Amino acid sequence: MKVKCYIQGMAAISPQSTFEGDIINMPLVRTESNRLACIEPDYKPYIPANSLRRMSRILKMGLTAALKCLAVSGVSTPGPIVTGTGKGSLQDTEKFIKEIEQYKETALNPTPFIQSTYNSVNGLIALQQQGTDYNNTFVHRGFSFENALIDSLMLLQEGYSHTLTGAFEEITPEHFYIKSRIGHWRADPVANIDLLNTNLPGTIAGEGSTFFVLGAKADANSIAALSACKLLYKPSAAQLTATLQELGSDADLIISGANGDSNHAHYYQLLQDVLPQPSIPFKHLSGEYDTAGAFALWLAASLLKAGSIPAELFPMVPQFPTDFKKIVIYNHFYGEQHTVMVVEKV
Amino acid sequence: MAERVFITGMGMVTAIGDNVAENLQHLRQQKSGLGFTDYIDTIYKQVLPVGEIKLSNKALFDKTGIPVQHGFTRTTLLGLAAMQEALQQAGISDVSATPTGFINASTVGGMCDTEKVYFDLINPDKEGDFIQSINTLDCADCTQRIADTIGFHDHIATISTACSSSANALMFGARMIKHGMYQRMVCGGTEALTRFTLNGFNSLKNVDKQFCRPFDNQRTGLNLGEGAAYLVLESESFARANNSTILAELSGYCNANEAFHPTSPSPEGDGAYAAMKNALAMSGRSLEEVQYVNVHGTATLNNDVSEGRALERLFGTKVPPFSSTKPFTGHTLAAAGAIEAIYSVLAIQNGIIFPNLNFSEKMEELSIIPVMELKEGVLIKNVISNSFGFGGNNASLVLSKYEG
Amino acid sequence: MEELKKKLKEQIIEALNLQDTKPEDIDDNAPLFGEGLGLDSIDSLELMVLLERQYGIKVEDPREGRKILQSVQSMAEFIQSKQQPA
Repeated sequence: MKVKCYIQGMAAISPQSTFEGDIINMPLVRTESNRLACIEPDYKPYIPANSLRRMSRILKMGLTAALKCLAVSGVSTPGPIVTGTGKGSLQDTEKFIKEIEQYKETALNPTPFIQSTYNSVNGLIALQQQGTDYNNTFVHRGFSFENALIDSLMLLQEGYSHTLTGAFEEITPEHFYIKSRIGHWRADPVANIDLLNTNLPGTIAGEGSTFFVLGAKADANSIAALSACKLLYKPSAAQLTATLQELGSDADLIISGANGDSNHAHYYQLLQDVLPQPSIPFKHLSGEYDTAGAFALWLAASLLKAGSIPAELFPMVPQFPTDFKKIVIYNHFYGEQHTVMVVEKV
Repeated sequence: MAERVFITGMGMVTAIGDNVAENLQHLRQQKSGLGFTDYIDTIYKQVLPVGEIKLSNKALFDKTGIPVQHGFTRTTLLGLAAMQEALQQAGISDVSATPTGFINASTVGGMCDTEKVYFDLINPDKEGDFIQSINTLDCADCTQRIADTIGFHDHIATISTACSSSANALMFGARMIKHGMYQRMVCGGTEALTRFTLNGFNSLKNVDKQFCRPFDNQRTGLNLGEGAAYLVLESESFARANNSTILAELSGYCNANEAFHPTSPSPEGDGAYAAMKNALAMSGRSLEEVQYVNVHGTATLNNDVSEGRALERLFGTKVPPFSSTKPFTGHTLAAAGAIEAIYSVLAIQNGIIFPNLNFSEKMEELSIIPVMELKEGVLIKNVISNSFGFGGNNASLVLSKYEG
Repeated sequence: MEELKKKLKEQIIEALNLQDTKPEDIDDNAPLFGEGLGLDSIDSLELMVLLERQYGIKVEDPREGRKILQSVQSMAEFIQSKQQPA
């Protein structure tokens, strides 16, 4: 969809110090394991203690990123709330499956079941902010967040002044193990800064919660503009090439979803061939997950706002463009869901 | 001006029938699909009634013409069966001939099958074919397997907003058409019974041991069901150029959040009221022009009070005939919105109003009662179909008779 | 009875994760729901699970549950009545 909207506020909880910090002074968090975990903030300033006591980890991360995003964007009501999540609350799903077994289907605590519902974060945001407008949750692997964006762009066209749009994902030790059985991760531990220097099967796992307030009109608070979001399901090389050319030929900077996974690296090679402009990766910061595209959008908007690229975060990149106004993000999730976003300076 | 959106194909499988015609026949005969489960491994096998489709997975493979294989869960197979009928009814032999999007809905993905092997999946000592099913747990799995089997390769999405999921899938698809992104979308949802959801609702103490009694004073809860339903949506210009058979119009819809409680609706039905009111306003129809409301009517203590109050607030003393069809199918969660949208179209096409089975005593909180007997020969031009869920997610659709 | 109430308070705090509450903060007769501890309907279901897991008492009807779960006092009385059938 090629309709412009404006990022009016954003917040990210990630394996990097994104929640409090400013990207220019942000230190690179170096990891040595293949499972990157979020740096979780203190939730107490955001969530009343009486609500906090029952909430599982991803609910806290989801709700807190959403609340901070609303606060920094200065909007009083969230408006429509649209999110994406590939897996929802894995912790609650795992807990409920186990309790069913452990207690032989009797005397079950309903909380993990309630919280395993994919739209529970949306419900909590609405509840805490009294957001009674449109509310939707997309749950489609590498298209989850991007469908939420498409939905938000339509809502803005339909007359809403702004939307709260985001994504949240967690990786649990158990789910990490399950996915290791089908080769999602590197067999041996790899440092995040070395991930892209080695071309081997699998990548590193990540997680994150990222929210945006998207507005229909630009104003003094606008951080960046999102001018296109395109989804391609299992595209041919020709389809992907055509889309990248159409949306990216005049971009100054490419943000690539490259994750060092040799099974699907050819798509990122194609990206480099079609769009040879300067390029930076982001999976060494976020890890791989269904909704990592939301982190990439946060990164693009942060860089456009800062006007420069902090070398500290990208030790593997030899040099950076000094002036950039248009960024193209290309990402795919295990070769199936491919997405292209165009982010521009306001 | 955005285009009107027409329904040009429907397909379904529920506990009362393997296709749309069988569903209509059993609605007419007032034949409920509730009973005990043959396929779920649970201590509640003979205790909690469910709306189960009496086709084994093997039979579903045969029905859909797919070779028996790992990775095709019951959720996927039910969805495929409904999808094949919807496309056939719309006269679509090749979905890729016209760019066609697919919006699916699911609440627990392939949990029905994954829960049977979950403890093997997390046990390093266990090896076997079950590993091929690892990816079936998430909600996108069924959508992609249906898409790949049928040949969808344009826009695909999966929505999960609990019990309003497929109503939201229809809404999202209709909006993509109105925005000119696609001329044709196929939308709906699929849901298989699982031990996970059965125990989940039972832990909330809102599953009835008897057949559910929506809007009855003695109701004590819902019965779960399984099923799948898809509707083919086309823009007016495409439907005309394509000479499609127009079954009905999706004339209005609204998604509103209640922001009241994580699982319970508000006692005055604020969300239900807003969803119905705004959907009707969008359709351009007046209150008097609604001849039937297919209510969410789960028969939980809270839903029926809330939804009933919303009906009374919206329609005052002139609440149109209304009924819950959940005593026929059980509550099919993600599939319910699409299944009941099809029932609403059937009501319009055939001039019938389905009875609310198992009702006997008016609720003390309400002054209205549902339709108790099958009504035939009724002129029905507009139906409101409600789907409300956890997280305060409320969705209402308005289905209207096509009159050119 | 006093022993039971003290134990019950500890169990309630643990089950509902009432982090900043101590057993002595809970008045025997104070309402558990709404005002008082500020519990809600999901907590009430969790307390019914507590009764079942810790005391082997099953409460089937949520309407009955509401009466039993009014306060620590009412819960303790109910437990005692079940443990010592008259």
